[in-house]
Amino acid sequence: MLRERLIAALGSDAVKTEPEDLAVYSFDAYTDGGRPAAVVLPKSTQEVSAIVKIARDCAEPIVARGAGTGLCGGAVPTAGGVLVSLMRMNRVLELDLQNRRVRVQAGVMNLDVSRQVAPQGLFYAPDPSSQQISTIGGNIATNAGGPHCLSYGTTVNHVLGLEVVDDAGEVFMTSIDDAGYDLTAALVGSEGTLGLVTSAWLRLLALPEAVRVWVAAFDEMDAASEAVSAIIAAGVVPTALEMMDAVIVAAVEAAFHAGYPTDAAALLLVESAGFEEDVAAGEAAIHAIVMAHGARYWKSARTLAERNALWAGRKGAAGATGRIAPNYYTQDVCVPRSKLPHALRAVEAAARSNQITVGNVFHAGDGNLHPLLMYDKSDARQVAAVVETGNVILQAAIELGGTISGEHGIGWEKRDAMTRIYSTADLAAMGRVRDVFDPRRMLNPEKIFPSGARCAEVTPP
Amino acid sequence: MTARSESVAPETVAETGEILARCNRSGEKVSIVGGATLSGMGFPPERLDVSLSTQRLSGIVGNERADLTIAVRAGTPIQSLTALLSTQGQSIPFDAPRPQYATVGGTLAAGWLGPRRHLCGRVRDYLIGSTIVLADGTIARAGGMVVKNVSGYDMSRLYVGSFGTLGVIVQANFKTMPLAKQARLFLARLPERTRVRACAQLAAAPMRPAAAFWIDGFHNAVDGDDGPEGRLAVLLEGSEALVERATRELRSALGRAGVPETRVLDAGARESFQRVVDAYVACLGERSVTYRIASSPQASEPSALRANELASRFELRTDTIVDVLNGDIILRVSDFDARALGAKIEPFDDALHEIEPRAQVIASEHPHRIYLRVWGEPPPAVAQMQALKTRFDPNRTLNPGRFVGGI
Repeated sequence: MLRERLIAALGSDAVKTEPEDLAVYSFDAYTDGGRPAAVVLPKSTQEVSAIVKIARDCAEPIVARGAGTGLCGGAVPTAGGVLVSLMRMNRVLELDLQNRRVRVQAGVMNLDVSRQVAPQGLFYAPDPSSQQISTIGGNIATNAGGPHCLSYGTTVNHVLGLEVVDDAGEVFMTSIDDAGYDLTAALVGSEGTLGLVTSAWLRLLALPEAVRVWVAAFDEMDAASEAVSAIIAAGVVPTALEMMDAVIVAAVEAAFHAGYPTDAAALLLVESAGFEEDVAAGEAAIHAIVMAHGARYWKSARTLAERNALWAGRKGAAGATGRIAPNYYTQDVCVPRSKLPHALRAVEAAARSNQITVGNVFHAGDGNLHPLLMYDKSDARQVAAVVETGNVILQAAIELGGTISGEHGIGWEKRDAMTRIYSTADLAAMGRVRDVFDPRRMLNPEKIFPSGARCAEVTPP
Repeated sequence: MTARSESVAPETVAETGEILARCNRSGEKVSIVGGATLSGMGFPPERLDVSLSTQRLSGIVGNERADLTIAVRAGTPIQSLTALLSTQGQSIPFDAPRPQYATVGGTLAAGWLGPRRHLCGRVRDYLIGSTIVLADGTIARAGGMVVKNVSGYDMSRLYVGSFGTLGVIVQANFKTMPLAKQARLFLARLPERTRVRACAQLAAAPMRPAAAFWIDGFHNAVDGDDGPEGRLAVLLEGSEALVERATRELRSALGRAGVPETRVLDAGARESFQRVVDAYVACLGERSVTYRIASSPQASEPSALRANELASRFELRTDTIVDVLNGDIILRVSDFDARALGAKIEPFDDALHEIEPRAQVIASEHPHRIYLRVWGEPPPAVAQMQALKTRFDPNRTLNPGRFVGGI
């Protein structure tokens, strides 16, 4: 019935129900999966609308999916239902150069936005490490970040308006320039639980006239993380401020030959972009701070090729860990920036006591940690140890005044951890928003809200 | 509005919760007042039993200087927060009118849009956490004190611009930005023949000024030549080296546009800029209504002229500020007394909305304000907004009728 109706509406090419097809859409980048009843690949907003109406008639839940790079099971159809892949909605709809904005469909790849507008001297700022694969729709769902969010802010700062298909299959539009509630802000980061975003107006920025990237190496992690805190405290906010530990540097050098010094305990990758005068002043200030914190190496990349090599190492770091262990799990926590040294010590201690190799590669300037926990999926002891380590790190971040996700989202994985940072009343306020947009709990169920939070999950509107 | 209303000024969040819970049960309607600087935005509440002031909910909760974050209670005046931040080399671009009175909570609730937002972003983008008291007295927190946080819905941003119709913001946590080392203000006469080119040059400048205004009228309220011609005010901010370079670029750009002579102000530049922002909501007693018309940098000049022509057809006096870089037009129409204005303002409001459907009233003390389309045409998602209000405040306890679509 479901299958037939979907095929009648979209054609058989857009509907997949064979087990081997369903298997492909049962996982995102998180470890556990769940099988959908059907996968559909719409090409237009009207088709998304039709799908939602059919699913609703058939009482099937709906899960929207972009490229499936999410790390916390946000796009996993845990409750079955219809999985809507937005990958065929990959058109740039309108480019408004005068007002520096562009309207794209949800399935457009992040990096393609910047590529399209680069000839006009513009770019789209949010740059998650997955940007060569991940889609704007998925980035909006998780309010994705990236290294350059330190100065440009996360996705929500760059979304000007949305086209959304609601739980009844009706289309509505939001704009940050409309009078009334800021529905755009409520929808960004809502992980597909308030509607399906089909297109978005994005803000574009002018490419900076000067960009410089520096690498500083330290003999101790503590010294590097204290240098990060000192840079921020001095009010010098570079465009990006990334940190890598020895485990990651070794893996990256082996894989990419990025030109990092391999004998350091910690590396800082710093980028400053803007006007020549400011970049030069930033270089002097940052150099002085890192040297005062015991850096023993400092290299400045001036050419585009040199900069790209340094960034390639950073962006490919997670993949490079394949040389260390067959699998890795990425934790994503964020702490106040002055607490970075404490947080890194907690990560180290948690990994050591569980006998897990950890590699740290993260957005230090934001206090956003990404410890990569290396393991072998086939070894049950290691799996259990990774889960425990991840959990201890989460708790440590909370105790340092931090949060359980900086930029990856809550999804399926972390929903029960929501009660560790929010009270029942805090979650109930979010639940009221859900009541308005998804009273039947059919849009990406079993995500964000804790499984036990009945008041938030089941309250009738 | 009911003549007799009770005034309360709770000192704690818990007390605020008790007051709202009580009113919500008894059916009393509550209006929320910060510094009352933006009370001319939106409609007055359709009924008012309790006026809840946030003035005593003020002060710094946590000043995490090294993290560039700060948590403040909602009744804290913008000016005292800004002053504290500047002593530690930080800032938040509130750009609120009359900051000595305006509160943090009120500025957030009104969703105030300042002139530096094209460069620094909106205030909402500095908000990293909040505490709100909902209509039933529930205290709900969102976000925290970290600069990146994706843990459920972004409730804090939803409350920004909600005009106290979803709850009372009692605490706000912000990230801050480094304070620009130098500020410089350019003032110039802007003869009509130079206006179009000057605005185009400014909008296209590679080194974007922090703010740029074409001001026509508002004499005595803002600095500059009081003559019959319009004035130009441009604020540059940044490091000393950057401001020097921007100065050279700006001088040659204005020269190309034929702008006669410029006066440069270093000392007092920020204060002069603030006087322009203050003028946005400056009323002439009961004899003026001020609109904000959202345009675009390219269209703002012709839109402003069109709106002015319309006003002159109604024989209304006008004062205009065009925020060249955001495309905002601030249009104050006035007459010689409240009665004269009252005879014209409704037909003018209709005619203005025919050419500028989204024009909003941002300041007026005229009694006919309630008959105007103060919010402009309803936004496309008004039904969703009304449903949110119903779910958050089913008894319509908070600021009933103040907001868009009867919310």
